[in-house]
Parts: sequence; C-alpha cells; structure tokens
Amino acid sequence: MLQTNNYSLVLLIQLALLAYDLFVNSFSELLRAAPVVQLVLFIIQDIAILFNVIIILLMMFNTYVFQVGLVSLLLERFRALLLLSALYLTLSISFHCWIMNLRWLDSNRFVWTDGLQTLFVFQRLSAVLYYYFYKRTTEYLGDPRLYEDSAWLRDAFARARQ
Amino acid sequence: MKRHWLLSSAASTCICAQLTQYVSCCLCCGTTFTLNSIDQSLFSCSSLFLTFVFQCAPRALPPMPSEDTGEEMPITKARRKKSKKEANEVEDSEEAGMELEGMTNRKDSDAREPMTPEPQEMAPQRRKKKKKTQTSDEDKTDLANGDGVDNHTDGEEVTRKPRKKKKSKITEMQYTNELEVEDDDIVTDMQAPLPQASLFSAPRGHSQPVGKVFVERSRRFHAADRFDLATSSGQVEDYMEVRPVWTTRDVAMKVHSGFRMIGLYSHGFLAGYAIWNIVVVYVLAGEQLSTLPNLLQQYHTLAYPSQSLLYLLLAISIISAFDRVNLAKASVALRGFLTLDPAALASFLYFAALILSLSQQMASDRINLYPTANETLWPPGSEHQILQPWIVVNLVVALLVGLAWIFVSTRHDIDFTEEFLMAMDVYAYPRQEEKPETTT
Repeated sequence: MLQTNNYSLVLLIQLALLAYDLFVNSFSELLRAAPVVQLVLFIIQDIAILFNVIIILLMMFNTYVFQVGLVSLLLERFRALLLLSALYLTLSISFHCWIMNLRWLDSNRFVWTDGLQTLFVFQRLSAVLYYYFYKRTTEYLGDPRLYEDSAWLRDAFARARQ
Repeated sequence: MKRHWLLSSAASTCICAQLTQYVSCCLCCGTTFTLNSIDQSLFSCSSLFLTFVFQCAPRALPPMPSEDTGEEMPITKARRKKSKKEANEVEDSEEAGMELEGMTNRKDSDAREPMTPEPQEMAPQRRKKKKKTQTSDEDKTDLANGDGVDNHTDGEEVTRKPRKKKKSKITEMQYTNELEVEDDDIVTDMQAPLPQASLFSAPRGHSQPVGKVFVERSRRFHAADRFDLATSSGQVEDYMEVRPVWTTRDVAMKVHSGFRMIGLYSHGFLAGYAIWNIVVVYVLAGEQLSTLPNLLQQYHTLAYPSQSLLYLLLAISIISAFDRVNLAKASVALRGFLTLDPAALASFLYFAALILSLSQQMASDRINLYPTANETLWPPGSEHQILQPWIVVNLVVALLVGLAWIFVSTRHDIDFTEEFLMAMDVYAYPRQEEKPETTT
C-alpha cells in the first residue's frame, strides 16, 4: 500500500522537476549569455525528464495491478504519457544538441533556420502535452484502489487468463 | 405387572435403566406402541427380549434424538405389525392406558410449549400436511423435528377413542401408577429434544427471510434487526472513511485544486499581459506602423522576455484548460468540442495561440538582436516586411487569449479531471468492454 508521506514526497519531486523543465523551456533563451550555463541547464533538463520517466515507471511498478501481471491495463491507461515522454525526451535532446552546437562559439549569434524553428515548435508543443499528461498521471496514481485487491481486479485477472 | 420382569429379570439394573430410557425416549417421539411390542416379546421369549434390548437400547440413547429416532421408526413399525397380529383386548387396554399417559404428557407439554415459541408456530402447518398425506415418510420427518407426539396422537386419536371405553378402571389405575415415575422422566426428557431438534435438525423446505440477524458480540450471539445492522454498519463504514485524515487521494486532489487555482490566475494574467503587449506594440509602432524603427529601439529588450513569459503563461493556461476538459479521455474531450463546451473552446484557442506564439520565435530573436545586428539580419528597409506579420500574429494571439479567458470565466467551475479523480474511474475498461454486450 502506498503511504501518504511517500506519495507526497514523490509527487513533490515530480512537480519540482516539471517546474524546472518549464522554467528552462521558458527562460533558457534569456540565459544564453554564457554557453556553459545554457549547456548545464539543458543537461539538467534532459536528466530531469529522464528521472521523471523513471519515477513514473517505478510508481506503475508499485501498483497492485502491475504486480498481479495486468501490465496491459496500465499500458493502455498510460500509453499516451509514455509515448509523449519518449517523444519529448527525444525532441529535447535533439534541440539542445542542435542549438548548443550552433551557439557554442558565439552565443549572441542569430542561428535560427526553418528546420530549427520547426524543431523548436514541436519540442515546445510536446513539452506542454507532456506536462499535462504527466501531472494527470501522477495525480491518478495516487488512487489507493490501484494498490489493493478488488473485485474488478479479480475480474480483469480472470479475463486475462482466458 | 408388566414391568415385573424388570425387577426380577436376570439382567442387571443397568439394563433396566436402559430400557426405561429407551421407553421414555420413544414416548417422547410419539412411539407409545413400542412398549407393547416389547412386552409381547417378553411374554413370548425373554431371551429374544434381551437381545432386542441390547440391540435397541444403545440406539435409543443418542445425544441427538432427532436423527436417531427417525432411523428407529421402521424397526418399531415392523414390530408393531407383528404385535398387532397377536394382540388381545388386554393389550388394547394397556395400549389405551399408555396412550392416556401420552395424552397427559401431551397436555403437560402443551402447557409448557409457550416456553419455546418456534414449535408452536410450526405445529399447525405440520398438522395440515399430516392430514393430507399421512405417510410414513412424514412421520419420520416429524419425528426428526421432535413433534412426533402431537402428530401421532392426532392421527390415531379418532380410531382409538372407542377402545378407551372398553378399558377397565383397575388396569388403568395400575398402569398410570406404575408409569407415574416414568412420566416425570418423560416430561423432563421431552422438553430437551424440542429445541435441540428444531435447532440442529436439517432445514426442511424453503427458508423464510427473517428480520433478525445474529451478531457475535463479546463471544455471544445477539439478535439484531437487519435494518439496524445496516445502518450501524453504514456508520462504521463512514467512520472508517473519515478516520484516515490524509490519504494519497487527498494529496492528489489537493495538488490538483492548487494547480487549478494557479491556472485561474494564469488565465487572467495571460489575457491581461497579451492585451498590454499588443497595446504597447501598436503604441510604439505609431499610426499605420510609421515608426517601426522606434518600436525596434524601444522594444528589443522586451521581445525575448515577453516571448518567454508568454510561453510560460500559455503553458500553464493550456494545462489548466486541458484539465478542465479532461483531454486525456478522448470521448469526453470530443463531446466537449462538439457541444461547444467553454472549457473545450478555451483549450482550442489556447493551443492555437501557443502555436502562433512559438512560430514567432525567430522574429523575436531577430528583434532581440536588433542593436547588434548587421545588414544581413536587418537589411535596410526590411523592418515593415519583418515586423508586420509579427505584430499581426501578436494581435491574433492577444485576441485568442482574451477570448479563451472569457470562455473560461463564464464556466470557471467546470473541471472534468477533478470529477474524474474524485470518481477514480478504475472500472472504465470493463465497462467499455461490456457496453456492446449489454446494448445488444
């Protein structure tokens, strides 16, 4: 059974990482005076995304639904988040690598091209969707019924065995 | 006279006690004729009787009379048939005497029956059944419930009344005197089987729903009404639900409500900021965009911060709007769009504004680099060509954001995600799977 304190701590960490991600996405262009600062910010952002994905996967593994083997139910429920997380992480790393490569020698240089602009738009859009789905999933995983036995779960388990 | 064999028999007093108990037990079950069969066999052959006693007596003393008496009936009936063939008038009078004693016992038992209300209610129904069928099987079942005395006497009362007239007063007094001691034993033994039989016998027929429920409290069972029990259990459940003060679900709901409040501020702040931004741009650009160099000189320091702030506020507002429409559930979101739900419209407007705003990132960076720009970045005379689309997009963004804020404000209480979290719809998948089956 998920403890309230543990859940609160995990939720706080997740929201802090999300807030940091949002902050970097919003204001990273303003902090480009030194390329190293932006590089560190981007590295931490990518690690934060990775940590968030790991935490949400660990929370899913901790559910009773997963432990009884009904992984398909969880995947069906959280498939959008997992796909968006993977997409967002890929787009973020790609964008960070690209823009840091262009700005590493001269940070105040106009580096925008159509391809970079397109990647930037998709990365930011996926970031917003990622925030929404991640926040919703973390709140949903606080449901105590996911961590205990129930008639519905037994019924689903019986169906899965057939 | 007929009991003298007991006193002078070669059998010990143990046998006498067994026989007495056997007879009393048989009387309890309404088999008064068994004594006659025994007497007949005694007069004919004492050895046969002894074997009979040793065969029957152990079965006549069970801890659970309801079961054993039912098994004994075929034996006693078979012996009764044999005894009837050899019966004479004296035996008839004896039988009548025994029956008289049975009647007195029954009266005693009737007088004490109100102590046990359950057999009193069951008796009329059984009597009706007895009148309909009068089979030996029913005798067995009645005996199993301990009502054998009443049923047997009721069934044979009519046929035996004429025989009572023939009996002599002397024999009647003798038998009654001889059986007086046993009567006491019979009465005391008779009360015990009734509740036991009714409690431990196998249920016959369909059970009727009773308003009472027996609940074990302090190692004893107490009767309680179903309604009271339901209300008390409901109170207990309510108490158990209230008792955990802060659950994970409460934490999730608290976070959601907190973010909803932040989103509410963000909606208003974003709308105000977007309108302020476009007003400033138009003021600096002058009438008919005649003073664009002035705009670039004054606004280039604000271009990137405003773009960053716009993205931050748009992101928060979009998440809040998606929460309200519960975008993750496609069916709910699509229904909201089709029914022109304010939250769904606001989500769409915010998302369009975000795309437009992000598309102007290149122009914003160009404005930001205006002081240090060379001719390749800002060719002379290209200000109008570059800035006009940027101003128009900002105007559209401001309009979309303001319109979305109006939609959100009209129905600010809508939050489908909160309802979803409150319901915690774990059962969504089975219901969706079962829907086609139920409809067909």
